[in-house]
Amino acid sequence: MAESSYDKFLPPDDLPEFHRPFWDSVKAHQVRLQRCSSCGRFRYIPSEICPGCGSLSADWTPISGRGVVYTYTIVHRAPTEAYQRDAPYPIVHVTLDEGPRMIAGLVGVPIDEVAVGLPVHLIYDDVTPDVTIFNFARWEE
Amino acid sequence: MIADLMGNPMKTPQSRMADFSRAAIAGVYLTEQGDLSHIPREKLYWQAVTGSLDDAGLTLAEVDGWVGEPPAGVGLREKMPGAALADLLGHPLRFEATTHIGAASGSACVGLAALAIANGLADVVVVATSASGQAQTGYLSADRAKVVEHMAKLGSPYEWLWGTTRVADYAVIARRHMHEYGTTSDQLAEIAVAQRHGATLHPLSVMGRRGEITVDDVLNSRMIADPLHLLDSCIINQGGGAIVVARADAVRDAGRHAPVVIAGWGEGHGYLDPNSAATLTAFAGREAADTAFSIAGVTRDEIDVVGMSDHFTINVLIGLEDAGFCAKGEGGQLVDKGGLAIGGTLPTNTAGGFMSFSHAGSCGIYTMIEVVQQLRHDAGPRQVAGARLGYTHGMGGVFQAHYGAVLARA
Repeated sequence: MAESSYDKFLPPDDLPEFHRPFWDSVKAHQVRLQRCSSCGRFRYIPSEICPGCGSLSADWTPISGRGVVYTYTIVHRAPTEAYQRDAPYPIVHVTLDEGPRMIAGLVGVPIDEVAVGLPVHLIYDDVTPDVTIFNFARWEE
Repeated sequence: MIADLMGNPMKTPQSRMADFSRAAIAGVYLTEQGDLSHIPREKLYWQAVTGSLDDAGLTLAEVDGWVGEPPAGVGLREKMPGAALADLLGHPLRFEATTHIGAASGSACVGLAALAIANGLADVVVVATSASGQAQTGYLSADRAKVVEHMAKLGSPYEWLWGTTRVADYAVIARRHMHEYGTTSDQLAEIAVAQRHGATLHPLSVMGRRGEITVDDVLNSRMIADPLHLLDSCIINQGGGAIVVARADAVRDAGRHAPVVIAGWGEGHGYLDPNSAATLTAFAGREAADTAFSIAGVTRDEIDVVGMSDHFTINVLIGLEDAGFCAKGEGGQLVDKGGLAIGGTLPTNTAGGFMSFSHAGSCGIYTMIEVVQQLRHDAGPRQVAGARLGYTHGMGGVFQAHYGAVLARA
């Protein structure tokens, strides 16, 4: 891996193989989630079977990246010094238009404007030459 | 779901349910709690074990079962704690089970011990925990920054990549509960205030010596992860404790304490990944409580005293809702105005809980020990008058694994 100044946590190298298409889609800046080939249900995080119908078959399907904040917190005491530099910062749980919820950071929104119901969309951050992570930002029509 | 011959759902008949009541809490023991960096961990562990056996009027020679956190060890000793214990005790064990569910261990291990005893697999089972000494890592570390970082990464990268912490994991739940049901920070603070009062009445509590706190003290304490403040949170300390479970008839014959029987026990496992949880305001504590109360054959309004896993104030509020002590969404009213205090409508965590008594090792043991002492009428100035029935709830993770127990003074 190339040198990088990013000093926050990175996705571990030992995630199960079936998680890889998700992270590949993040790297491509077009998130795909598993959609059950049998019942059509989207799911997140990656999993081996559909919790709706038990099917083992799923298609990695692009999503809109849009959703609304289901809940949030503002972190004042961070897990490490690298995160503490940004504190206080929000973490949001977002209900995606496709159904699943997704946890990520929220960027560009003052902390006193973070609220349940806030419309948001996914954005991408190439934090190292090899790794891209995602956050949410306010969605404006 | 079990179905009858006509295909209709069939409730498991009472007569087919496990009879836990053949098992009783025979002995309990609490070591000192706080900064125990001067005491080697194995020394504290065996102090807790022998203390609980002394309390029961039993000896190590009579122990034939062990559940939960084993004596510290590596290699095969860690893999096969039952065999290791046979070396240590000088005789074979008949039953051993290990769990890895942290704070839930109090209820989970005592339930497993009761299952073993009720089914004739063992007669005297020890459940013990200890956290002390210097050379500890992860959650047991004496370095607070290391504990915080370790705890932050207990979940998956689909959570901690963005800088979640253990407090943040619960804060999002508190925020959603506030949004759906109008629960307030004042109501959450009432829980911490009620528990601190109990701690001031317990000589071993870590925070009791600092005196009472008020709702304003909680609201004015440092924000950790909005909406949870420092005083909405458990403490981080060291300590130890142990419980001996034995055949109820033997406890009666010994006559040292009023037997406290395990009248009912149940588990609930609801979700692991918070991205995937159906909701973040209701959890599988419901299943644990429904099973435990069904086996015990008692109702929620018969319960005199509760021990509820309380890493944060919100855990107690939602835990009581899920356990059925009030309707979903009404936890705020239940805990308001000292509802959980000694003398309140539902005395809960009367020794102070993880927030004010102690939060060390498999800390669910302390939750259960306080309810046992209440049911023995041994709780001194904290005594809930005439307590006969208690409910304890051990929670592992963030509302992920749940173990409920109905305890009864026999």
